[in-house]
Amino acid sequence: MTLFDVVFSGNDTVCGLTEGAINDAIAKYGEDKAVAFPSTAYALPCYYGVTGTKVTNLGELKAALEVVKTLQTRNKRLHDVFMSGVATALEAEFIEALKYIDAEPYNPEVDGCVGHIGDDIVRSLGVPLVTGDIPGVAVILGKAPTADDAVALVKSYQTQGILVTLVGDVIDQLAEKGYKTGVGVRVIPLGKDVTSVVHVVSVAVRAALIFGNVTGGDAAALMKYTFERVPAFVNALGALNPIVVAAGAGAIALGFPVVTNDVETAAAVNIKVPKSLIVQPDVDKFNATSLEARDIKIKITNIDIPVAFASAFEGEIIRKGDMQVEFDGSRVDCLELVQMKDMSEVEDHKIEVIGPDIDEMPVGSKQQIAYVVEVAGKNMQADFEPVFERKFHAYMNCIEGIMHTGQRDMIRVRISKDAFAAGFRAKHIGEVLYAQIKNEFDAVVDRCAVKIYTNPEDCTKMRHEVAVPTFDKRDERLASMTDEAVDVYYSCIMCQAFSPSHVCVVTPERLGLCGAVSWFDAKATNQLDPAGPCQIITKEKCIDERIGEYEDVNEAVRKFSQGALEDVSLYSIMEKPMTSCGCFECICGIEPFTNGVCIANREYTGTTPLGMTFSELASMTGGGVQTPGFMGHGKHFIASKKFMKAEGGVARIVWLPKDLKEQVRDNLNKTAKELYGIDNFVDMIGDETITTDPEELMAILSENGHPALTMDPMM
Amino acid sequence: MPFNRKPQKFNTAINVVEIGTGDKAIKLGGASVFPFYTFDGPIGNTAKVGVEISDMGLEGEPAGVKAYYEGCTTMAEIAKKAAEMPGADFVSLKLEGGDPNGVNKSVEELIAVVKEVVDAIDAPLVIQGCKNAEKDGELLAKAAEACQGKNVLLMSAKEENYKAVGAAAGLAYNQKVGAESAVDINLAKQLNVVTTQLGVKAESIVMNVGTATVGYGYDYVISTLDRIRAAALTQADKMLQMPIITPVSSETWGVKEATADEADAPAGWGCVEKRGISMEVQTAAADLVSGSDAVILKHPASVAAIAKMIKELS
Amino acid sequence: MALTGIQIFKMSPKKNCKECGSPTCMAFCMKVAQGAVDISACPHFSADAIAQLSEATAPPMKTIKIGAGENEYSLGGETVLYRHEKTFVNKTRYAATLCSCMDDATIDAKIEAAKVVDYERIGERMFTEALFVNCAEGTDAAKYAEVAKKAAATGRPVILNTTCADCAKAALAEIKAAKPVLNAANAANYAEMNAIATEAGVVLGVSGTSVDELYDTVAALEAAGNKNLVLDVTMDTIKATYEAAVEVRRGAIKNNDRTFGYPSIVNVAKLADGDVALEQALAAAFTMKYGSIVVVSEMDYAMALPVFGLRQNLFTDPQKPMKVAPGIYPLNGADENSICLTTVDFALTYFLVSGELERSGVPVNLIIQDAGGLSVLTSWAAGKLSSTSVSDFMKAEVEPKIANRKLIIPGKVAVLKGDIEAKLPGWEVIVAPLEAVQLVKFLKDMQAAGQC
Repeated sequence: MTLFDVVFSGNDTVCGLTEGAINDAIAKYGEDKAVAFPSTAYALPCYYGVTGTKVTNLGELKAALEVVKTLQTRNKRLHDVFMSGVATALEAEFIEALKYIDAEPYNPEVDGCVGHIGDDIVRSLGVPLVTGDIPGVAVILGKAPTADDAVALVKSYQTQGILVTLVGDVIDQLAEKGYKTGVGVRVIPLGKDVTSVVHVVSVAVRAALIFGNVTGGDAAALMKYTFERVPAFVNALGALNPIVVAAGAGAIALGFPVVTNDVETAAAVNIKVPKSLIVQPDVDKFNATSLEARDIKIKITNIDIPVAFASAFEGEIIRKGDMQVEFDGSRVDCLELVQMKDMSEVEDHKIEVIGPDIDEMPVGSKQQIAYVVEVAGKNMQADFEPVFERKFHAYMNCIEGIMHTGQRDMIRVRISKDAFAAGFRAKHIGEVLYAQIKNEFDAVVDRCAVKIYTNPEDCTKMRHEVAVPTFDKRDERLASMTDEAVDVYYSCIMCQAFSPSHVCVVTPERLGLCGAVSWFDAKATNQLDPAGPCQIITKEKCIDERIGEYEDVNEAVRKFSQGALEDVSLYSIMEKPMTSCGCFECICGIEPFTNGVCIANREYTGTTPLGMTFSELASMTGGGVQTPGFMGHGKHFIASKKFMKAEGGVARIVWLPKDLKEQVRDNLNKTAKELYGIDNFVDMIGDETITTDPEELMAILSENGHPALTMDPMM
Repeated sequence: MPFNRKPQKFNTAINVVEIGTGDKAIKLGGASVFPFYTFDGPIGNTAKVGVEISDMGLEGEPAGVKAYYEGCTTMAEIAKKAAEMPGADFVSLKLEGGDPNGVNKSVEELIAVVKEVVDAIDAPLVIQGCKNAEKDGELLAKAAEACQGKNVLLMSAKEENYKAVGAAAGLAYNQKVGAESAVDINLAKQLNVVTTQLGVKAESIVMNVGTATVGYGYDYVISTLDRIRAAALTQADKMLQMPIITPVSSETWGVKEATADEADAPAGWGCVEKRGISMEVQTAAADLVSGSDAVILKHPASVAAIAKMIKELS
Repeated sequence: MALTGIQIFKMSPKKNCKECGSPTCMAFCMKVAQGAVDISACPHFSADAIAQLSEATAPPMKTIKIGAGENEYSLGGETVLYRHEKTFVNKTRYAATLCSCMDDATIDAKIEAAKVVDYERIGERMFTEALFVNCAEGTDAAKYAEVAKKAAATGRPVILNTTCADCAKAALAEIKAAKPVLNAANAANYAEMNAIATEAGVVLGVSGTSVDELYDTVAALEAAGNKNLVLDVTMDTIKATYEAAVEVRRGAIKNNDRTFGYPSIVNVAKLADGDVALEQALAAAFTMKYGSIVVVSEMDYAMALPVFGLRQNLFTDPQKPMKVAPGIYPLNGADENSICLTTVDFALTYFLVSGELERSGVPVNLIIQDAGGLSVLTSWAAGKLSSTSVSDFMKAEVEPKIANRKLIIPGKVAVLKGDIEAKLPGWEVIVAPLEAVQLVKFLKDMQAAGQC
C-alpha cells in the first residue's frame, strides 16, 4: 500500500460512515430536523470555514456531503491526499454534529470528555494564542506505549504552557493515573472516537474566522491563517489505521505537522512528507520533535541558577578578597565563543562542563576557562556569531556575584565567594548563556548548547586551534567586505528621537556614524526585529557611481526621514552628503586653503585649523540636515576606501587630533598605501601638537609633500 | 498682485474610526489637511472631547469636579452625569485603581466597574488602563470581553502588551484598539506595524502617541504630533494615518501648578482650581492644533472651553 | 533658498584675517549660513558679493524690533513652520490689555496686575512683556496719550491700538522714544497712519477684514517704502483669525511670499470676549500657530504658568534639550539625613523623576549633576555621566551638606555601581529600577524596610 491508497481508503471509509449516518438520521427525523453544535455562531464551523455555507438541518447536511465528495479526487498527487484529508475532517464534523441531535453526547462529569468547544472559549483561548502566552496547541491522539508515557508527554507540554487536546485511548490512560484534565488546566479531552478530533480543528477554523478576519468560504485564506498563525501539531500515538492517516492528511493540509511513533506502518507505506509527517519512535522525544517541526519557541522566564540575574548587578565589582576563583585570559588560556552549527550537531539545552568544576579549584586561584555556545537555526547565519558574542559581557555581568570584562580570548571572569556559597557552579554560566541567547535571539536560534572547558589542555587547544582562527577569519571577512560585494544596505534610525530627520545608510565600508552599528549589526537587528529601526535598502538603481548615489537609497531616505531628505550620496561630502545626527564619533570639515579636510573626534576639546572646535562643528552639522563640506562619521570610516571617495579619498585628510591619529594610524597607512602607494601617509598629516593654525598647517603640509595640495580643488 | 493662496490639500486622509453605537456614536479622523486648516480643504470629523472618570470615584478631585457630580454615589451615576456634561462627546473610564504600585484592585473588581459604566451610558466609551503594562494586558482583554457589542476603544495597548490588548479588543471582541507609544514617531509607527501584523485592521486603531503637560517636556509632544500628521498626509504613510487621541487630564492635574494649594504655592499663584483648569485647557488646545483628533479632559469648565474652541475653529 | 556655508565661502575674501571675530573665513561663512551673524560683519566682502548674498541669505520673514533699551524685543525672523525642522528663534511675547475707556483707578490697578506675574523657570524670566492699549470709540486724544504714557512708564513695550490719527499722534508724541507699535493701519487709513508711524520711527501694525485685504494693504505700504511692519491677523471670528495667522506665516516661509514676511499680532482677548477659559485655550493655540505677539485681557498666574511653559517648550532648540541647574533638590521635606538619589540634568528626566519621587512621599534629596542636558543613557554613552563625574560632584557639593551616605543611582547605569563605590568611600550605592514609574514602589518598599 502506498500513502495514496491509505489516505484514500481511510477517506472512503469515513465518507461511507457519514453517508450512512446522515441517511439514518433523515429516516428517523426527516430532512427539516435541526443540526447544530451548541454555542457557536458559525453553524458547522469547519464546513462554513471551507465553503462559506451554513448548515442548519439534515437536508442541508446531506447536500453538504455531496459538496464534500467533490473534494475526494483520486489522482495520485499530494494535492488529492490533502483534499481527501480535508474531506475526512469535514465528514468527521458531520458525524459529530449528528451526535448532538436531541442529545448531550459529551459530559465532562461523566466520561471526562468535552466534545464541541463553544465560541466564548475559542475567544478566550484565542487571545493567549495570539499573544503567544499559549505557545502551541498539541493534539494527542491514540494510545501511548504506557500510561506513564502519556502522563509524561502531556505534562511536558503543560509546563511549557502549550494547550493540550486529547482524542482516544490516551484519555483513559490519563484518567487511570488520576491526571487532572479540563479547560481550566488547558488539557482538554475531546472525545474517544477519532472523529472527535474535529473539535480542535473547529477551534482552529474559528480562530481564523474571528482573529484572522477570514471570510467563510475563502479556503485559501483559511489554510494560510491556520498554517501561519495557529501553532498546532498532532502527536499520533500507536498503530496508524487508514482513518487516522486520512485525518492526519487533513491536519497537514491545515499546516499542522504530524508526529508518529508507528515506525512500521510509516515504513510500509513509504510516507515521505518532509517536515509534516515525522517518524519519531521515541515518545520521550515527541515534545522536542513537535516543537521544532512547528517552529514553536518557548520563552525562558526563569533561569535555573542559585543567584539572582538582573541588570542591577551589572556594575558590581568583585574585589580580590571576595573572590572564590578567577578566570584570567591575560595569564592563562581563556575564551568565549559562539559557533554556528548544523541543526543535527546541536542538542538543545545541553550544557556540558568538561573538566573540574569550581568547587575543585583552590580558593582565590587563577584558572582557565573556555565557554563555547553552539547555536543552530534555520535562519541562523555565521555573521550573527559576533553579534551574540558581544552580548556575553552584559549577560555575565547581570549574574549576581559574577564580574566579567573583556571579550574573545582576552576575558576575565571573577566569581564571588558569596555566589559560590549559594551554589553557583560552572554549568550555571551555561544556563545563563543558553537562556539569554534563546530568549533574545529566538528569531534565528532554534537550538543552543553550551560547552564549558576548564582543563588547561582543552582551553589551550580551543583557543589556538578553534577560537583564534575563527576570530582571524571574522576580522578578515570584515576587512574584506566591500560595498560592492553585498546586495543590500541597511537604514538605521535609532537616533531619530534626537535628530528627527536623520537616517544613516549603513554599508559594509561605512558603518553608522555613531560608530556602534556595523553592516552586520544592522543586518542582525533587521532579522531579529523586522519592523525595527534597521530596514533593508536595495541598491539596484545606481544613479551616479562616483558619488555613490542610488535611486533606491534615495527612496528609502525619503521614506525614513518622512520626506525631510530628498537624496544622499554615500561617498561624497560635497555633493548631497549624508546627514549627521547628534551622536557621531567624529566630524570632518573642509579646510579650503589646503584643499583637504580636518577631522575632530568627540573626545577632542581643542580647536581645529578650521577655527572651530568639535562642538562648534557639531552644532553646524548635526540635526539631520545636509551640510555640504561637513559630515559626521564613525572612527572606523576614516581608514575606509570609501571615505569621501568622490573627492579623492583619504588623501584629503590634512589634520587629525593626535589621539585619533594614533588610533587610526595602522589602518589609514594601509589604505593610503593601497590606494596611492604612499608610505607612512599618517606622518604627513597635521595634529594639534604640530599646529592648529591654517597657514602654518599649509606650510607644514607642503614640507611633508602631502598629496592633498596637488589634488583638484574641492570647491 | 493679490495674495496667491497655496492650500495644502492632500490626496489622502486620516483614517476614520467609529467608537460607540447608535445615535451617540462618534467618528474620529478623516482630515486631508492639517489641523483646523478649513481654508485648505475638508477637515473630516470635528475633533472630539471626552470626559474622564475613574474607578476611584471622586476622591481627591477638584471642587468644581466634585460639585458637578454632586449627588452621584455609584459609578453608574457618575458615568451618566459625565456623558451629559455640556461639550462632551464621549466618556473615558480610567482604571487607575488597578495599578499594582497603587491600590491594586483585582481585575474582577475593575471589570465589575467597567460593566456598570458601559451599561449605564449610551455615549461612546473609551477605557484607559492602570499604567502597568502587565496588568493592563489582562485587564483590558477582559474589559473588551465585558463590553461586547458596545464598540468601545481600549487604550493603553503598548509595546509590552499590544498582543493581549490588540487580540482581545481588535480581533476577539471587535472593539477598537488604542495604540500607546512614548512620544516618538518611530515607536508609534512600529507599534502600528506590529499591531496590524497581529491582524488588527488599521481602521480599528487609534493612536495615543504620548502626552505631557505644557512646560513638561511638551516640546517632544509637539514635534511628535507635527511629524506624525505630516507623514500621514504628505507621505501618505498608511502606518501613521490612524487618528490620534490624547489623554490630557491625567497628565495635567498631576503637576505642581495644578496641585499646589494656594497656601503652599508661591505668592500670587491664586486659586489652585483655576490653575488646574488652565493647565488642562491650554495643553488640550496645543494638542489639538498639533493634530490630536480627540482629547480627554475632566473639568466641566475645560470641557466647555475646548468644545467651544473646536466648534469655532471647525 | 538658503545658501550653504560652502556657497558663501566661495564668494568670501578667503583671507582668514579674523577681523569679523571668527578665526577663519570658513567658520564665519558657516555662521552666516546659519543666520548666526550678519554678512556685514566682514569688512572684506565685495559690494557685489554682499548684494548677491544679502538677497539670497535674507530670511523669508523679517525680524522686527519693538521696545527700547533693555526691553527691546525681536519678533519674527523665523525660517521654518515646525520646530522640529529647525529651532524657532524669536519667541512669542504676551501683552496685557488696557483701554482708554477705563477710569484711572482701573488703569492703575491693571498696570499693577500686569507686574504681578514675574518668575523664573529653567533659567528664563517669565513676565508680562508688553501692554496693549485699546482706544475706545471717541476717546479724547489727550486721555489716550495719558494712558499710553502710564503704560510706557512700566518700561514695557506698548502697542497702541487705535485707528484715530489724533490719538496716535498724541500718544506717539509722548512715548515714541520707547519704540511702541502703532497698531493702526487698515485698508482705509494706511497712507495717513504710515506717515505718522514713519515720522515717529515706530513699527506700524496693519490689519484687515480678510486675508486678501490685509495682503493688499501690506503691499501698498511696502510700495510706499515702509517695511517696518507687524500684521494684526485678528479677524472677526476665531476661525478667520486662525486662517489669517496660518496664511501669513505659511505664505512667508513655505511659499516665499515676502509681502507676508512679517511678525503677527493675535488679539485673543478680543476673540474670547470675556470667556476666560476660552481665552486660555486660544492663547495656547495661537502661541503654537504663529502669533508673534499674543494679546490677552489679563496675565494672571493661571494664564501665565501654562502659556509660558508651552512657549518655553515650543521655542527650545530641538538639538539642545533644556537643562535644569545642577544642585541638591530636597523633596517631600528631605533634610541632611535623607537618602540621596541622583540623575541627569536633562529637564525631561528631571521632571519625570521628581514627579515620581514626589508621588512616593518619601523624603529624598534629588541630586542633579551636570550631564550636558542629555538623558541618562545618552550622557553615559557620551561620557558625561560617569563614576568620576558622580563621585566628584558628590564629594564637592553633597558631602559637605548631607549627612546621609546612601546614594541611589539610575537603573540604566547600574554598571557604574562598583566604580562609584570605589571612588566614593563611605557611601552605599543602590541601583534604582529601570523606569521612573517604578520609583514610587521602590522607595516605599525601602521605607517600609527601614532603609530610608
